[in-house]
Parts: sequence; structure tokens; C-alpha cells
Amino acid sequence: MRIGIDVGGTFTDIVLIDDRKGKTRSGQGRRIHYTKVLTTPQNPALGVLNGIDKILRLTGASMADLDYMVHGHGTTIGTNALIERKGARAGLITTAGFRDVLEIARVERPDEGLYDILVDTPEPLIPRYLRTEVEERVGAHGEVVKPLDEASVVRAVSYLKDQRVETIAVSLLFAFLNPSHEARVKEICRQVYPEALVSLSSEICPEFREFERTSTTVINAYLQPIVERYVRNLIALLAEKYGPVEVRIMQASGGAMSAETARDHAVNIVNSGPAGGAVAGAFIGQLVGDDHVMTVDMGGTSFDIGLIIGGVPRVSSEGQFEGYPVKIPAVDVHAIGAGGGSIAWIDRGGALNVGPQSAAADPGPACYGLGGDQPTVTDANLVLGRLNPEYFLGGEMKLYPEQARAAVDSCIARPLGLSTEEAAYGIARVVNANMVKGMAGSSIQKGFDPREFTLIAFGGAGPLHACELAKEIGMQKVVIPLYPGALSAFGLVTSDIRHDYVQTIAKSAASLLPEELVRAYTAMEAKARDQLRAEKIADEDIEIEWTADVRYSGQAYELNVPVPHDGALTRKDIDALVTRFHALHQKTYAYSSADEPVDVINVRLIGIGQVPDVKLARQKRGPTSPRPALKGKRPVYFDGKGFVPTPIYERDLLKPGNVVKGPCLIEEIISSTVVTPGATARVDPWGNVVIRV
Amino acid sequence: MAAKKTKSVKADPVLMQVLRYATEQVADEMGHTLVRTSRSTIIKEVKDISCAVFDRHGNTVAQAHHAPMLLTGFELGMRNLRKRFKDEELDEGDVIIFNDPYIGGQHVMDLVTFAPVKFKGDLVGFVGSIAHHADMGGAVAGGTQGGLTEIYLEGLRFPMVKLFKKGKEDPELFGILNNNIRVPDKTLGDIRAQASADFVGARRLKEIFEKYGPAVVQRHMDALLDYSEKRIREGLVKIPDGTYTGVDYVDDDGLTDKPIKLQVNIHKERDHATVDFDGTDPEVPGNVNCPIATVHAAVYYALIAVVDPHVPANSGCYRPFQVNVQEGLVVNPRPPRACGARTNVSQKIAEAMFLALAQGLPDRVMAGSHGQITNCGMSGYHPETGKRFVYIDIEGGGAGARWCKDGREGQDSHLARFMNTPIEAVELEFPLRIERYEFIPDTGGAGKFRGALAMRRDTRSLIDDLTLARYGDRQVFAPFGLYGGKEGSKGKFILNPETSEERPLKSKGVDKLKQGDVVSLRLPGAGGYGNPKGRDPQAVVRDVRDGKVTIAQAEAEYGVVLDPLTLKVDETRTRELRG
Repeated sequence: MRIGIDVGGTFTDIVLIDDRKGKTRSGQGRRIHYTKVLTTPQNPALGVLNGIDKILRLTGASMADLDYMVHGHGTTIGTNALIERKGARAGLITTAGFRDVLEIARVERPDEGLYDILVDTPEPLIPRYLRTEVEERVGAHGEVVKPLDEASVVRAVSYLKDQRVETIAVSLLFAFLNPSHEARVKEICRQVYPEALVSLSSEICPEFREFERTSTTVINAYLQPIVERYVRNLIALLAEKYGPVEVRIMQASGGAMSAETARDHAVNIVNSGPAGGAVAGAFIGQLVGDDHVMTVDMGGTSFDIGLIIGGVPRVSSEGQFEGYPVKIPAVDVHAIGAGGGSIAWIDRGGALNVGPQSAAADPGPACYGLGGDQPTVTDANLVLGRLNPEYFLGGEMKLYPEQARAAVDSCIARPLGLSTEEAAYGIARVVNANMVKGMAGSSIQKGFDPREFTLIAFGGAGPLHACELAKEIGMQKVVIPLYPGALSAFGLVTSDIRHDYVQTIAKSAASLLPEELVRAYTAMEAKARDQLRAEKIADEDIEIEWTADVRYSGQAYELNVPVPHDGALTRKDIDALVTRFHALHQKTYAYSSADEPVDVINVRLIGIGQVPDVKLARQKRGPTSPRPALKGKRPVYFDGKGFVPTPIYERDLLKPGNVVKGPCLIEEIISSTVVTPGATARVDPWGNVVIRV
Repeated sequence: MAAKKTKSVKADPVLMQVLRYATEQVADEMGHTLVRTSRSTIIKEVKDISCAVFDRHGNTVAQAHHAPMLLTGFELGMRNLRKRFKDEELDEGDVIIFNDPYIGGQHVMDLVTFAPVKFKGDLVGFVGSIAHHADMGGAVAGGTQGGLTEIYLEGLRFPMVKLFKKGKEDPELFGILNNNIRVPDKTLGDIRAQASADFVGARRLKEIFEKYGPAVVQRHMDALLDYSEKRIREGLVKIPDGTYTGVDYVDDDGLTDKPIKLQVNIHKERDHATVDFDGTDPEVPGNVNCPIATVHAAVYYALIAVVDPHVPANSGCYRPFQVNVQEGLVVNPRPPRACGARTNVSQKIAEAMFLALAQGLPDRVMAGSHGQITNCGMSGYHPETGKRFVYIDIEGGGAGARWCKDGREGQDSHLARFMNTPIEAVELEFPLRIERYEFIPDTGGAGKFRGALAMRRDTRSLIDDLTLARYGDRQVFAPFGLYGGKEGSKGKFILNPETSEERPLKSKGVDKLKQGDVVSLRLPGAGGYGNPKGRDPQAVVRDVRDGKVTIAQAEAEYGVVLDPLTLKVDETRTRELRG
């Protein structure tokens, strides 16, 4: 038995997978259970405990049967501290002459500041007076140009101790090539100021580009005390109630880590919210037989787009968060400000815009009747008949269509000279266009043709828009998974343990010796295996992947290429690596050049601790007719057709094998799926709705 | 999602937004391709590029978010392109290049490429890119030497020619480039990256035309331009009518010590504005002359920033503005004047515009800043490969203070929106070692809001015979403060600082460095805004604690007296000093 807990801003979702042999109630395979409780922002661990308690009561399961639980933290732990600048008091130690690198950053102002002279890059997380310097220098070949002056380190650390910092980041130039000076600084910290936590750039992010590496290390230092305290408290509370429990924490990479490891790798939690959805997307993709999947998670305020390539969520190390570079592997999810709560407005030139401002949960869309008077995407969907005012959150919350109409009317329809319905449909089209732009950016710009992908849509609002988005961008297959509101929590329980390692080597492929490469990989592999064993992963469940970041000599950006191996490498393997790089470059950027020299910049290694597969039970086919699920008809607005009398089905009553044709709506507690005219939806054996548009 | 066929003549406001997003995505994708595939640090790290999408008339419809200087710079070139080629002379797969400042280019280092997009045989639009190259031949590697006297010295100058014909490279042109450029591996790679961005963009734009049909797309592109124009006009109406004048100076032209006067006169009436340069000095022998496309960019940038900074930036924005510049001024030189170091002038046009507009709009402007784009080309032979290398170090400066907040430290402003080159990227590629990159205290203009501090960057040559060709400015005329705010510090360049061999270097010129020499760039600080005596004492305390302002300056400039040990404000003496 496993439990996944996704601590969101408002709700904490809990998924329990009951795979105890012979104990499942249906007697045939594994079952998913799902529930939600309110998040307790003051101390999210309390909400977590409530949730566990609730799901155990609902299922009659016992913690004695638990194998492990995986916690995901959306924006609650760590990420939130970064957004609100409420991290720990941190100090920084740099090479002499470079303490201002963190503040100078890359000099460039943000995109939004192209013409707006008030828009600035965010202030550094560590102010100048807590940034200290030590005398030392490593050169571009990793050679020591100036030995470490230990007296200067003692001075720097003593100063930071006097300043009562809780945590220290150390980022010295070229430490990624030669970490010896940073390691020595850490030792001296231990002696001079043993209470301080220490983050080394050579351990957190051993890659070139000093600003980005420093930024990543600083974020780790800034958040480490907070994450450390939370994890300690959580484990203590769980132990008090249930005895020792194995706790894992989701990372931004889409892999979990032990709670113990999380205490030293706080930065890996930053922006890990979307990871669960991406992992679940890969899982659902596998069920429906597709290994190229685009996941879209549309909630109240944001629309998150992820790509699954070859069955694996795409991971990138070029991310940033809140304007701060974060160079650790993260599921490559692109978020745009479009959700059910996004507000529609007319700008002073008379153009219709949607978002990025959101009515959020309070006051919420006009139709919530909580005082909101701005029209939102949810209001538009209600006007268009796509939402059922009596069945929102399964009827727990009443919607007020007349208030939605009034808001759309006064703010959009009248100023533009449109009917209420035209205006509502305009809102849907503009928000769709914005989302389609994001989907194109996430795929085409990365060298993938979205038309070759299956769209998996979830979140409360995803199923409402999925068919139109797919049509607009030319995708043919849409999947609305079972429990579209709990997919992130489901992803947590299916995620493997994962640790990422990187080492910059920066050598030309031609001059690179195979044994040099092997040496770098085996050193990382030894670390990975030790780490995974410490997390109680059996040797046979450990999987190791070697990859390399490769570029044409002189380029600044690399492409990540797999390095198949049998523990050794030959010249031939390096040549094959180069050939794969040319092909990938051609695919990504529409050109390649076989006679140009190629450099291997970083070697990367992923250590995976595989968890047992989650095998869902195939449900029996029910009666072929969907008629028992038909609840009635109501007018729903469709492009070019206006309002059409549209059949409404109850998702819980649709059985595997049932087929319904668009136009129709499939309603469930958390959401509503719009099946557009001409599309056909079929329920698969696992309860997913698979739509051909 | 087809447009409503019943209302075929009127543009659909919703489809207009849909197409806006779609064309912006095309431009973004082009920029992404160019940065990712280029070879020179000037493109791949600094991002001295831009990309845009045009309609069939050559109007800019959408732009990638890069350097504003290059964005508006497409307009004139595109106009000349439409005159130079008939529709039927343009084929799918063609890439037309030019870099001649006298037909709408910037300086010869910036190569512009345009690619036509055709639909069923008809010309329906264009895509284009512009990028700063590491070398174009000429008298000095990288073209970064101040004081060159004729455009012939600055490098190869291309009229509008097809570099790719129907998707195929012209081997003869590539041969000419190969023979005249010091680092052909880099530059030809970068030019191919530009072409690649154009091909990607043309393919995507064509898909948009295929989806909606050319008539519908053009109609909505027209509507988008009208929309931006309307927004600018509405913004202009709110600005008081009148003539606003701003004057700033360039230190010199690199040959003499004579300052060069820049004067902008903005005549604002109802919903439009005319800008002229009456009072500006004539063109000069040195290469700070600023070609007309760059002048337009500077004027448009400042007006958009003040009037409506979030308007969709396209050709419609420029319609309410008229720019009158007589030929023969430093701001509209005649051939064969050299103009490689034009950014010494163009950034100051933007600053003079702000200075002028400050009179009517104190709460929309920024005090003076770095006011230039410092270019430092370092070139020589790499000892490990024996090959020629060219490293162009582009330095920005911190921002000027604004009416409600300090200038952001280190953040570049106005036309320049480039990135610095990481120290580790420099040293991995070139035989150089950077020894300092830091702020200089007491250099930000004092004010109620303080200007950003000056920055210092020290680079040591690890080889003999390193050519250091550069142009910098604001070493004589400091960045201005506004409304009682003080000037920022002036810049200077120093060779071998803090040694017995220390000597100043000219702001614009070329020198040979030997192994071990250190060049120390001291960039200007930025101007302050408002009376320094009105600054929140706690902000002064923060600055002192951070070592950005000394205790002495806190007292002298801000009238805030601090206890040197505790940094507590001495209220009594502070009150006395502040009056």
C-alpha cells in the first residue's frame, strides 16, 4: 500500500493505492482511493495528518500495511518561502572580487521591462553585507591559480557567525572543475561555526556560468533551514501517531527522494508542484498506449504544460523561478496565467484580453456569488452552457448563471457590441489562443510537432477546453483521465526515487579519451548507488542512465544526448554519441553540420530507484449502451453552431466500452468534459475518457 | 476556428488577439533558434539580436523580446527592401541580407536578414532577424575601435543581396565573407544560424496563412496595427501639449576632445508628436555618427516607454510620431561617415528624450544612466589552438533612479537589453582572466532615490599582443540626476591599476596589451532622483551597511549622520544637517 499526498494552496489531495495481495475488496488487482481535505497553511503537516486519517477511515486500510508515502508540496513548502522572500538568514562566500556577481546577475532586465522602466529583476536573496570573499582562484583548466588563504576563510566565516546567519552558501569560480577549495571552506565552517548549514556550489550545481550556479546554491541555502524544520516536524508527528513511517518527498525532477535527503537538497523541492501531474501523465500515456504526450493542467489561476517524450517526462536544467535561475533538473513544465478564474477585460485600445489577473478563490468568478463582478473564464463557460450550475463540485457549491451573464454583459459584450453569448465565446477563444501559444512554445520551440502527441487534460478546467485546444493545434487524441482533480497526487505514488548528478568537463569530442568519460561516470555512479542504498533501494531496483550535454564547438547551449554503455566506452561509442547529436540538432533547430567540431560540455547521470509498478485493474465492460449515464439535455454553445441541444452524461455511470458522440458533455464532481461536434469519446478499461477529435 | 464569414470586411477583435499570439510565437521561436545555434558570445551569451514578423507591405507585426534598438530598426530597411525587389523577384527560401547603415542598417557589425513568405505563389509576408557579429573584416577585429574615420574601415558593407536563393547558399557570397572575416568559423556559423531562424519563422508564418487564408490574416494584421496606433494616440492625448527640449553631450568622437551636442525637441500636440534635432551638432570625423534607423529606434523607444509601455510593439505604434532629422547631423550622417560606435549617441538620444519629457511628466521618467553601450573587443591568437579569436565584451551599467524607486543595481536600461558574458564562459574560451567584477561604492547619484552604482570589471591578458579596441563614453559628461538628484559618477578605463605601471586609457581607441597586463573598466554610475536630503534615513543606513555608500557620503550628500559602529542614526545631528 502506498499513499500520495499533494499539499496544494487550498486543498490537500490524498491518493491511496491498495495493492495488498489478496486483500483488495474487488479481489482482482489494485484499487485507487482518493479524497481531499483543506490545507492548513500555518502548519501544513496538520492537514497532511487529517488527510491520512480521512483516507484510512474511508478505506479501512491500516498504516501497518503502508510501504511508503510520497509528499508533494505544490507551492506550500519552500517554494512559498521563496515567493514571499521569507527564507532563512543566509550568507554567501565567493572568490575575492566577485561577491557582487549575485546582484549584477546577467545585467539584462526582464522581458516585461522591455519598455517599462519600472520593471526590475528581483533583488538578490542575500544582501551585500552578508556576501563575503575569500582569497583563492581556480583557473579554467581546474588548476589552482592562487591557493586558498585559510585565514581569509576563517575571517569570512567568523564574520557571518557574528552576523548570525543560519545558513551559508559557498560559490567559488571554477569550483565545478576543481571543488577542493569549496570543500576546504566547508571544513573550516564546521570548525568555526558548526551550527551553520553549508551549501557548496560544487555539490548543488557543478556547472559553468557563475551567476546561475551561485543563484542555485543560494536558493538551496536560503530554503534549507525551512525545509529541514518542516521535514523534521512532519516525521515526528507521523511517528507519534503511527510509529515509524517511510516518507519520501517529490522533487522538481519528477523523482522522489527520501525525507532525509531532502534536508540537504532544499532547492530540489522548488517548483516541484507540477512534477506529480507530469509523472501521472506518463503513466496514463502508457495505459492508453501513447509515449508522446502533452499534459495540460488547468486550474483556477494557471495552465501548466508538460511534455512526455518516449514515455518519460521531459526534464530540463535551464529553469528559473520567480526570476531567479534554478539550474537543477526539473520537469519542463511551462506555466501561463490562464485558468478558470482568469479575468476577461477590455484594454484601452478596445481589445479583449483574458488574464493574467485571476479572481482566485476569493471573491472568485462572478457566478460564485461571493461578490466578484469581473467576468472570468468560468463565467464564460457557464454562460455557454458548459458548466452545470447545480452540479459544480458535485453540487456542493451553487453557481449563479445570472451573475455570470451580468458580468460578461457589462464588462465585455456591451463595450464590444456583441451579444452575451458571442462575448462569452470570445473569452473562451482568447484564453484558448493564449493557451495554444503556450502549447506551441512548449513543443514546436523544442523541436517537437504537437500533432504527433496525445493531449492529456486535467485539473478542474482542463477537460472543458481540451477538445478545442487539440483541434486548434492539430492534435487528434485527447485523454481525460480518471479523477482529473487528483492526478498530481496519483503521480506521486507512481514516481520512482531519482537522483541527478552532473559534472562539467568541457572537452572536444575528438580529443576526449573514452577512459576519461568512464572515469567521470563511474565516480558519479558510485555516489548514486551509495545514495540509493542509503534510501533502502535494493540493488536490482537501481537503474543508472548516462547522458551527455553536447554542442557544436563555440555554441553556448547544449543538447542532452543519451550515452548507452555496458560500464565501459570505446572510441566508437563517442563517435556514435556525436552522430546522435547531429541528428538531434537537425531535429531541434532544422540544421546540422556533420563536419563541424563537437564539444562534450557536461556528463550527467541519473540514478533511479525503481518502485514496484502500479498495476491498475481493468474494469469489466458494462452494457454497451451509454444510455444509463444520460442525465438529460441542455443547450450548449459551439463554434459556428450557436446553442445546440446537447446530451449530458454522468461520468461515474459511464462504463468501459461506452461510446458517446459529440456534441455532448460528460459531467463529474470535479469537472466537466466538453466533447465537441464531430468528436467521439470512448471509456477505456481503466475509466479514462479517450476522445478522437 | 474560422472567422465569421458574414462580417467579412470588419476585423474580428477576438481573431485579432488570436493572430497576435500566433505571430508573437513565430518571432519568439526565431529568437530561440538564433541564440541556441549561434557561435559567438556576442549572440549566444549577450543576445545582441532581434527577430520580427512582417506583413506583405513590410510593416512590423510582431517582435521577439530582445533589444529595443534593433526592434524598431527593421522599419527603414524593410521599406528599402520593398523598393529594391519586386514581388516576383522574391522566392520562397530566399534570404536577403544587408548591413549598410545608409540604407536602413545599424552599423556594419549588425547583419539584417529578411526572408519572404509566399502562399500559392503570392507574397504574403516576411520574417527577419538582426544580429551583431563578432567580426566583419575592416581595420580592427570586432569593429569595436573608437575613432575610425570612414565606413570603409569598419568592415564589409553589404547592399541588399540574396545570400540564400530558394533555400540554397550562394557560394560566391559565402566565399567573399570567408576571405574577409577574421573568425569565419564563428561568423559564418552565426550567419547560418540567422538563416536557420528565418527558415523556421517563414515555415511557421506560412502555416498561419494556410490556416486562416491570406485575406483574413492581412485584415487582422491591419487591425492589430490600428489597435496599437489607437493606444499610443490615446496615451499621447493625456500628455500636456507643448515643446519639450532635452540636451545631452557625447564626450568626443575619439579623434579630438571636442564634445558633441545632442538636442531633441519634442513637439507634442493632441494625439501626435513631432521630434526634431535642431540644435544638434553636425556629423563628425570619428565613428560616433548615428545612422537614421538607430535614431528612429531611440526616439520610438523613449516615446513608447513613456506613453504606453505595454502596447503590442508593431509598426502601428510609430504612426503618431514624426521624426524630422536633417541630413549631415551627427544623428543622420552622410556616407562615407563612419558609425560603428553609434551607441555612444543613440543611448543618449533616449536619455535626452527622458530629460525633455521629465518637464511634463516627472512621474514617468528615469534619471541618466550609463548612457552608452560600452564595447571592448579583445582579440589575438589563442596559444592552445594557434587560431585567431575575437571576444567582444559588451558592458551595460546600472539603471537611473526613478520617481518611486532606486535604480536597480547592475541592470541595463533603454535601448540596450543585453546580457553580460559569464566570467567562466570567457575564460573557458579565451586566454583571459577576469579578476574583479563588482560595484564601486559612492558612485550612484545621490537622491531621494539613488542611482545605481558604477561597476568595475578587471580583465588580465594571458597572452602577448592582445588587441584592445574599444569605445566608451560618459567619462567627461556624467549621467544626469533629476529633480534635485545628483549626477552619477563618470567612467574611466585604466591600464594596470594599483601598480607602478598604472595609466589611463582613452575612452575610444585601440592599444596592444602584453601578457599580464590588466585592463580595468570603470563604468559610470547612474543619476539620482529627488533631493538626497529627502531620502529615507533607513535606506541610507541600508546602503551604508551594504558598503554601497560610505558613512562620509551619507553625511555629506544625504545629511544622515550614523554611528560608525552601530549604524544608528544620530537624530539630532541629522535634523540639523537636513534643516
